[in-house]
Amino acid sequence: MCRYIIRRLLTMILILVASAFLIFTLLYFTPADPADAQLGISATWAEKEALRETLGLNRPYAVQLGEFMYNTFIKFDFGKSWTYGTPVFGELMTRIPRTLTIGIGAMVINLAIGILMGIFAGVHAGKWQDSLVMCILMVFIACPNFWVALMLVLLFSAKLNLLPAYGIGGYEYYIMPIIASAVAGIAVNARFMRNSIVEVFRADYITTARAKGMKEKLVIYKEMLPNALMPTITNMGRILSGIIAGAPVIESVFSIPGVGNYLLTAINQRDYPTVRACVLFLALCVSLIMLAVDLAYAAIDPRIRAQFSKGGR
Amino acid sequence: MEKQGNEFLEVKNLCVEYTSDKKIVHAVNGISFTMKKGETLAIVGETGAGKTTLAKTIMRILPDPPAKIREGEVWLDGENLLEKPEKEMTEIRGKKVAMIFQDPMTALNPVKTVGSQIVDCYLLHGYSNKDEACKKAKEMLELVGIPVTRFGEYPFQFSGGMKQRVVIAMALACNPELILADEPTTALDVTIQAQVIGLINDLKKQYSASMILITHDLGVVAQTSDRVIVVYAGTVVEAGERNDVFLNPSHPYTKGLFSSLPSMDKKVRRLTPIEGLPADPTNLPSGCPFHPRCPQSTEKCRQGQMPVVELEPGHFCACCNLKHGGTADE
Repeated sequence: MCRYIIRRLLTMILILVASAFLIFTLLYFTPADPADAQLGISATWAEKEALRETLGLNRPYAVQLGEFMYNTFIKFDFGKSWTYGTPVFGELMTRIPRTLTIGIGAMVINLAIGILMGIFAGVHAGKWQDSLVMCILMVFIACPNFWVALMLVLLFSAKLNLLPAYGIGGYEYYIMPIIASAVAGIAVNARFMRNSIVEVFRADYITTARAKGMKEKLVIYKEMLPNALMPTITNMGRILSGIIAGAPVIESVFSIPGVGNYLLTAINQRDYPTVRACVLFLALCVSLIMLAVDLAYAAIDPRIRAQFSKGGR
Repeated sequence: MEKQGNEFLEVKNLCVEYTSDKKIVHAVNGISFTMKKGETLAIVGETGAGKTTLAKTIMRILPDPPAKIREGEVWLDGENLLEKPEKEMTEIRGKKVAMIFQDPMTALNPVKTVGSQIVDCYLLHGYSNKDEACKKAKEMLELVGIPVTRFGEYPFQFSGGMKQRVVIAMALACNPELILADEPTTALDVTIQAQVIGLINDLKKQYSASMILITHDLGVVAQTSDRVIVVYAGTVVEAGERNDVFLNPSHPYTKGLFSSLPSMDKKVRRLTPIEGLPADPTNLPSGCPFHPRCPQSTEKCRQGQMPVVELEPGHFCACCNLKHGGTADE
């Protein structure tokens, strides 16, 4: 088990190096000129050329790439933001907790509500309760997160004056962003959960459990749930990555200075060091999530646990 | 104390149907039988004859929907199980009536240890102390011939035969009065079959339980049962003491079953099958359900319900071509 985790962490380094290479190359070949974006159209050619010289943009691709890789992976130096002149790493560190609060909060809500709705619909498959839940989920999945965010702001901030519309502060600032990020995921989770409950519902071992004299509630939570959770957990990785990657949208709607917002401004400003650092952070998040998902898998299913300890995977 | 003549289990005119895609599958059509305490009753019939549905109806574990018990009564020890509230039923299941399932490969929960699945039985029926339940479960595991060291292992680490032993251990854990063994050996290979049948028989005697053995293996029936019921398309076509049915099979279907067996002492090049296909349960033939395949069918067989003829005391046959005494009506 331990060896498996170590092996996965080592592969993660490879993934990060590969994404660093990819993001650097993509940015290098992007036609837009950082000097244009930084100085504006009014700047003279000489001014722009001078800026390019100081930023090191005039050097060949291989040299720039080598320097970037060396700085990032050997010296752990992400450079300074071209726009603000501050170190990217420090800025990221203050922003990451905000993004993670939204991401993890949305994930918890996703799992809790999604699984409960899925179980409810699955147990009543084919009856009106099932159709009702499916209808609600259809609405959930049809609503884009930015729209939900705006509607929430209209209702809870503008009309009811209950929650702050934007910015950061206490926990109340995070309620609406979390809900807005979670809505679509709830729908996906609940549908996955419903389908696997329907599948497991008729399984022979469930009949065995009933034949033992187990009460239906116990059958659902002790026998069905662990088996039905598998597809939902697999899918959780995707949803969570979606939430983290969707952070720019939600963060800009609510003006939360998180990683997503940072990334978005940096892209507009062609602030390459910031963009690269943010993308690397997102890649790290996604790989960690995938690892967590695989470990959760092993925790639930003894068959997969056995494969891990044998080193079969 | 049981009164003399008072039957332990009595199934009266049981009808069960499934609905699928607006078609109605008539799985069980008016099955009635009785059973004495301590007896082993074999229910024989081909796949789709409604044997498993019958067992699940007695346990009340049919999936509803699509299954529906249309009519009938199941009396166990003077109580009608079909009218019991679900709460009381959970106390009867596993305690008074237990079931051994057909396919051991899928009958165990893949994510729970074998031990904990047996422990569950004790915890559900009277044992509140977990340690004590564990102790009992370990004893039970030994009893079915599995070393206690494997208590904490998972079903995927067990072979088919061992899984079936675990299923048997689970069924017998709470000392049930009635065991419903639903094709307990179908999924096992022949050598293991013999062991498992032996095991079930021994344990049944040890706990002095009654058993309904569902099977399509006439060899198993000959070895284990006291009485036999032959089921075709959800109806009883022949019932009687084992020897009566085996030595004097009377219904054309029963005769067909016996003549399709390979013989040990004669050299036979080809087996004799029963011609045709099993009756389509969504569209049962009128009259005797067996008449389209019956070599002796006449116009009479197509109409109405078949009369039940008592050939010898306790040996019944539902065929309109038979008379009392068992001779064909030619």
